[in-house]
Amino acid sequence: MEYVLSLAPLFIKMAIVVGILLLLPLPLTWLERKIAAHIQQRPGPMRVGWHGLLQPLADAIKLLTKEDHIPAQADRMLFAIAPVVALVPPFLVFVAIPFGEPVQIFGTTVTLSLADLNVGLLFILAASGIGVFGTILAGWASNSKYAVLGSLRSIAQMISYEIPMGFSVIGVVMLANSMQLSQIVAAQEGLWNIVVQPIGFFVFFVAGLAEAQRIPFDLPEAEGDLGAGYHTEYSGIRFSLFMLAEYLVLVFLAFLNVLLFFGGWLGGPAFLPPFLWLFIKVGFFIWVFMWLRFTFPRYRYDQLMTIGWKVLLPLSLLNILVSGFLML
Amino acid sequence: MARTGVKQSSWIGRVFFADLLAGLRLTLGYMMSKTVTHHYPDHEKWVPYQRHRGHHFMNTNEAGEVNCVACGLCSKICPCNCITVIPFENDQGDRRPKVFDIDLARCLYCGLCEDACPADAIKLGQEYEVSTTNRATLKVHLEDLIAAPRKSEDGGDIKPAKLDSAGSQHSILRPESDAGRDWWSRVRRD
Ligand code: SF4
Ligand code: SF4
Repeated sequence: MEYVLSLAPLFIKMAIVVGILLLLPLPLTWLERKIAAHIQQRPGPMRVGWHGLLQPLADAIKLLTKEDHIPAQADRMLFAIAPVVALVPPFLVFVAIPFGEPVQIFGTTVTLSLADLNVGLLFILAASGIGVFGTILAGWASNSKYAVLGSLRSIAQMISYEIPMGFSVIGVVMLANSMQLSQIVAAQEGLWNIVVQPIGFFVFFVAGLAEAQRIPFDLPEAEGDLGAGYHTEYSGIRFSLFMLAEYLVLVFLAFLNVLLFFGGWLGGPAFLPPFLWLFIKVGFFIWVFMWLRFTFPRYRYDQLMTIGWKVLLPLSLLNILVSGFLML
Repeated sequence: MARTGVKQSSWIGRVFFADLLAGLRLTLGYMMSKTVTHHYPDHEKWVPYQRHRGHHFMNTNEAGEVNCVACGLCSKICPCNCITVIPFENDQGDRRPKVFDIDLARCLYCGLCEDACPADAIKLGQEYEVSTTNRATLKVHLEDLIAAPRKSEDGGDIKPAKLDSAGSQHSILRPESDAGRDWWSRVRRD
């Protein structure tokens, strides 16, 4: 009984996080459409609910009632599990993300994270790396040229971006002497990492865009030249799983950017609870990602590889070198 | 405005992504500017300029008789062959149309009938909401043309309006007030 009681807060926290994550794409699609619209001087969805606020619900109902179609000669099992493979890693990643310092509720100390692992950063990079398998499997299983091209691109993209991304956070780890995200945030008391690690931030940000497969690096799904890339053949609920995964990756990248380089929950005004301050920063980054999406064209396949290997990789190595010298 | 400041030759600009930043600044400016979309048919309605070629109407003289002398020039020139004119002689010995039908389902609103008319009779106005689910109602007759509204004095702006479906099978928007807004003022030209 004691044991079960001690587990109860964990399950409650888990339920809250999973619930929020499942619902988050609804406001995010609305936001994305609104931002796209306003950049193009349109008002965006206006007619379902106040300023189109209920539009995502209408979209969700439409998606869930669509025919679930599997192409002829597709690998049915892989086709079915690919969306799940894509969806699980973003959820997994949120296990290790802290949302604030421990707080006192009803006299007990509650940590605002599911598990503040001491190898948190490593775990996150590793777990998020699995997400690309969803893309690869989906393209492979679809029996469609466009989908295969999309997943080929995503493999090349993953190879050229995971490495600079891993290197770019080493500077942060060196500064904090820890891979635990709460420690990394605590080490930024007084001075955010963006000040001392601007190159690291730049590399991480760009590599993160590629990781999230967002414009200007959305080659795997490139609506313009590949139909919809790896999820061309998906429809209905399976397609919405992919969309869900995509938005969650976006959110977790915004979280990582804030936690690693922008001081996490530190430095907010006194009247704001720290976790709200964190969410404001994360919201800002989400907005920036969307702003980028509707500003830039898509990079070509070879340009993407060039940026990854010839620009970001040397930059991240340089960053490690410089931070090493400065720490000595 | 935002597209300047990027020199092809400047390597400093390339290192610090001056071109990308210029693009971001431009889209940020657009994000903050007002939208240009007409909120039609919910709140607003575009009232066209006087030169707009919309609904047909038939002018009448002081005595209340139609100006038309049934010469048939409009039906000759009409590229869609959609005007039917059958003349007759009235009590004063004037030549007038007995039948004057326009099949709006075929009309392309070119305005040639207006140009060809020697008697200042057939004209095109500013109303454009003629859609219907019943094709028969698209055939307008002489009485309809005489009763149709004339050209309105103003035009070329957006007026507050709302959907009014009572009493007619068309949903017609009625401008509620005369204070229109100039749509062009919001269009960015940089
Ligand atoms: S506007 Fe053109 S198409 Fe229409 S009735 Fe007149 S001449 Fe014919
Ligand atoms: S409307 Fe004008 S052009 Fe047509 S028949 Fe009458 S007078 Fe002639």
